[in-house]
Amino acid sequence: MWAFLSSQPVQTALIVGTCAALVSALIGVFTVLRGNAFAGHALADVSSAGGAASFLLGISPLLGFLGMAWIAAFGMEFLGVRKARERDLATGVVLGAGLGLSALFLYLDVTTTSTTGATVSVMFGSLFAISRGLIWPAILAVLAVFALVGGFYRPLILTAVDPDLATLRGVSPRWMGLLQLLVLGLAVAVCALAIGAVLATALLIGPAGAAIRLSRRPLQAIVWAMLMALAAVWMGIWMAYESYYWFSGNAWPVSFFVVALIFLFYLLAMLGSAQQRKFRYRAATALPGIQES
Amino acid sequence: MHYTELEKTISARQPKLHISLRPSLLSVLTLLLGLGTAQLAAASTIHAVGVENQYANVISQIGGKYVQVSAIESNPNTDPHTFEASPAVAREIAAAQLVVRNGVGYDSWAKKILAADPNPKRQVIVVQNLLHLPDSTRNPHLWYKPETMPAVVKAVAASLSTLDPAHKAYFDANVQKFDASLQPWYAAIASFKAQYPNTPVAVTEPVADYMLQAAGCDLKTPWNLQADIMNGTDPAPQDVSIQNQLFKTHQVKVFLYNQQVTDSLTASFLHNAKAAHIPVVGVYETMPTGYTYQSWMLAEVKALRAALEHGQSTTVLK
Repeated sequence: MWAFLSSQPVQTALIVGTCAALVSALIGVFTVLRGNAFAGHALADVSSAGGAASFLLGISPLLGFLGMAWIAAFGMEFLGVRKARERDLATGVVLGAGLGLSALFLYLDVTTTSTTGATVSVMFGSLFAISRGLIWPAILAVLAVFALVGGFYRPLILTAVDPDLATLRGVSPRWMGLLQLLVLGLAVAVCALAIGAVLATALLIGPAGAAIRLSRRPLQAIVWAMLMALAAVWMGIWMAYESYYWFSGNAWPVSFFVVALIFLFYLLAMLGSAQQRKFRYRAATALPGIQES
Repeated sequence: MHYTELEKTISARQPKLHISLRPSLLSVLTLLLGLGTAQLAAASTIHAVGVENQYANVISQIGGKYVQVSAIESNPNTDPHTFEASPAVAREIAAAQLVVRNGVGYDSWAKKILAADPNPKRQVIVVQNLLHLPDSTRNPHLWYKPETMPAVVKAVAASLSTLDPAHKAYFDANVQKFDASLQPWYAAIASFKAQYPNTPVAVTEPVADYMLQAAGCDLKTPWNLQADIMNGTDPAPQDVSIQNQLFKTHQVKVFLYNQQVTDSLTASFLHNAKAAHIPVVGVYETMPTGYTYQSWMLAEVKALRAALEHGQSTTVLK
């Protein structure tokens, strides 16, 4: 255990992984409540173009992911329409264009600069190969997200759950939508840095989706999501570290373990909530006086 | 058939024109039969391609004025492992009469191009096969092996002699010259091995491993870490810790750093090596500009020696 904790790559992975888990759980709950899971996924995928471009521009990959996520977020908001079906269409179009850009940038990365691992690290993440210099920017991004969400918690929740009621109460849906995209972009950038742009979705909507099945109260759901995301990231890092001894030195990637654990937690939460409903149903039928809530 | 019939009709109608018409008809015939053959016959130089520029350099040393050589992979700022062929490159390779490629998966794209355009007259030399190495060979950087190029030049001379038998003696003489010019490199390796036996070294990638082994060095970097950096996959934290420990506790005398594959991880190794005052030697996958194959290899051994003798770093070959 000491060897695990004293390893420099493990320390960096644990810090950046924790940042990604906390921020994705928080933003994930809003995203899932708002029914924006597909938009969140698209945003994460499109941010890969920024990650790929960061190698060409020589800037921090976190800035690359963030820049592209914001451009895509505002692009989708600009093209976005009220109806769910049209919104999915606009999201899909932006997603395709963004991935096309990342195909170009990744090609330029490997053909004009000496970054062999760019494709794997941008798309699927290399948590053990993250430079230590990215720890503070990641922590700052998390603090910014918590400050923004903490400051506008009530209007954000209200807009996510019932936009019409929020408008009646005097909350500007446009400003809240913009704020939501701003923090979603930050969360996506940190997640993409940790487990890659393509897999960031798993962290962003997996724990939140599971948590919402376990609790209907937003604050409680956020806590559940954080616990599950942290468990998945920490256990995933530990399992990837241990896999070095399972496969005689050929360790499996961290991202795989993290995503596999998230999927497992989601399945467990589904089973758990189905069980809960069954109990409630039985209780309701056995005692006619009690109504299902 | 068509032309003789045409000729007959013309000669039958205008017998006086027969003599004057014949040469022009012949030239039309040659033109129609194939522009390419006509051009090659006129130029009479052999068009050869060295997929990696070190092989191109060696071909031109053997072929001299009778060969026109082009290299495909020669950009010192990119990783040859991730090269992607363009249609222009494919045309160039398909049109070549002699192609030398490395093999061991290093340039499998070239294999595909050659297979897509089969030509029984084209001479193809695969260095992996010359050395009788299996596909499972872990380290593809064969040109750092001291015994590789003598085998390559012999095969190149044989292929050139098949394409241009008239100049066989010229090619064979160049092989002799080339083998002689490798002697300073061999001598440098032997004297290094004698003077600094079992020198412990760390590397990023297995680029110069064959040469280091020939020089009797003890490669301390775990193979899996070298392979992960070479293939751009996630390194295991244990391997990264071992490597950092090598620098911290001064277990290695030199750090060989691949200039063509750099990322945040190799940059952190470079930083740690410098912090521990371990001399750094830059190594290259393809021949840097301003060098011949022989002078490049000699420069690498000299840099290794300077690192041990004076603790001097040679990060870039100039």
